[in-house]
Amino acid sequence: MAAGGIGLGVAALVLALGALSGLQDALRAEVLARTPHLEVELSRRDDLAAARTAIGEIAGVLRVEEMVRGRGWVKHGVLVQPVEMVGFEGEVPRFFPGAAGSPAGLFLSESLAARWGLRPGDVVEVVSPRPTLSPLGPQPRVRSLAVSGTFASGRTEEIERIALPLAVARPLAGGPGALLEVTVTSLDRALAVVPLVRQAVPADAVVRTWEQLNRPLFFALRLEKTVMFVAVSLIVLVAAMALVADLALVIASKRRELGMLGAMGAAPQRLRAAFLTLGALLAGIGTLGGAVVGWAAAVLLDRYQVLRLPGQVYFLDYLPFRVEGADLVAVLLITFALALGSSWYVAQRVDRLQPVEALRR
Amino acid sequence: MSVAVRAAGVYKAYQDATRRVEVLRGVDLEVAPGELVAVVGPSGSGKSTLLHLLGGLDTLDAGRIEVGGEDLARLEGRELARFRNRTIGFVFQFHQLLPDFTALENVMLPGRIANRDIAVIRRHARELLAEVGLADRLDHFPPHLSGGEQQRVALCRALALEPPLLLADEPTGNLDPATGDHVFELLTTMAQRHGTTMVLVTHNPEIARRCARILLLDAGFLRTYGAEGPGP
Repeated sequence: MAAGGIGLGVAALVLALGALSGLQDALRAEVLARTPHLEVELSRRDDLAAARTAIGEIAGVLRVEEMVRGRGWVKHGVLVQPVEMVGFEGEVPRFFPGAAGSPAGLFLSESLAARWGLRPGDVVEVVSPRPTLSPLGPQPRVRSLAVSGTFASGRTEEIERIALPLAVARPLAGGPGALLEVTVTSLDRALAVVPLVRQAVPADAVVRTWEQLNRPLFFALRLEKTVMFVAVSLIVLVAAMALVADLALVIASKRRELGMLGAMGAAPQRLRAAFLTLGALLAGIGTLGGAVVGWAAAVLLDRYQVLRLPGQVYFLDYLPFRVEGADLVAVLLITFALALGSSWYVAQRVDRLQPVEALRR
Repeated sequence: MSVAVRAAGVYKAYQDATRRVEVLRGVDLEVAPGELVAVVGPSGSGKSTLLHLLGGLDTLDAGRIEVGGEDLARLEGRELARFRNRTIGFVFQFHQLLPDFTALENVMLPGRIANRDIAVIRRHARELLAEVGLADRLDHFPPHLSGGEQQRVALCRALALEPPLLLADEPTGNLDPATGDHVFELLTTMAQRHGTTMVLVTHNPEIARRCARILLLDAGFLRTYGAEGPGP
């Protein structure tokens, strides 16, 4: 009974953490697909070409390209959409999935193009809030551009993005300094090369990693997982309490036998150890059994995509599961420690059991 | 091997809900090595309490008990448990066998507690059970044995480590006269063979008369019931 309760708690914990990890992984992948590996912001005084060259020579760095970021609007007839303008150099960068590697041009998200019925070749106006002086006074800067293509819509994005060539973007959104986008062989490598990048650029340059660019989101994900772990651990705590009740019941029902063992010379420490062993055995069976069931359920639910989600609403079509080794170890350790602590607590009662009291009818 | 038992000025009282009950009010007792002594007395006179005190199962309020020269008050915890295991065998009115263990396993228990070699204690337990006529009941569980058989298993368990002192609390009290008589015969025969000192609490005058000495416990004091019994 107690082992079953512990097993159920562990299975629930493993499944809950597996679902959360799966979901967070998908979310992280979705976000990182739209985030540069590294961003280096240079001031007006810094030598852009020298910085590019120095960064490009660092092992693991694949591309260093200038880019521009700024807010504005896209206008098509009476339709207006606030956007983040991303000006790029050369080909469309990797954080515009679906369009990455395309030759320079204006790229909109699939969803915006679909909403407005735009096709490649249609002309839209890109409006910048930066004013320009005209005979009629300050006027917003406007450029008419033909749509070159679309990129995959990011369902987690807060604001629509558009990609446009650097030469076009600079007068619309460019600041006084320059922004470099650094593509590295992997996300981990990107974090590893940060000290080298800092050495390669002037001291007043600002280097931001993909982690820093998404810090609030990653913090929220970590916090969510911690809270979920604590909340679901309460099930295990309840199961550990059930173990206390079970062992206490065994002690009560075996009182006479324990008294007789005491009369025969079994030391209290030995009887206590027997109950501790029993508790550990039940905890071990429950913990391992629950972990296996939880892990197997997570693998099956993920492989066969059992839990479907409405793809139009969420950024996923099914609920993915991924059981992380560290989570599993944490669950096993915490559950076993809780159950063992409960067993130890109950086993202390054996010490107070006097053989003469136990044998009295 | 046998030991002497000495008790001097043993005092024991219990506090119930309303009053303090003085069960033993200064009991003195001397049992010679290998002697068989019966303690008789009315119900509630403290016979079982005295036996528990002699066996180190309960603690004295005052006085002193020595078993084989060892002052029981000086032993506690693991030491006391070890002393009980090696020195004292108990037989109770209700056999107190462990129902989840077979007859053989029950008899092996004192040896297991003493961490003796399992093969040796198993062989010895088989011999003991065979000696009391239970060779064909080794693998039976206590609930599947008759009252007499259960008590014979309990007797074998008490003697498994050949303790120098055997304390028996109404060992035949729960048995019919014929079975009780048989169990008592076995008890005395085996105790004598090993030279075991034995203190026996009984209500049965026939059983008591077959002991070397009868002591009467009454009103908290122990006195000689007759100069000497007819002997076993």
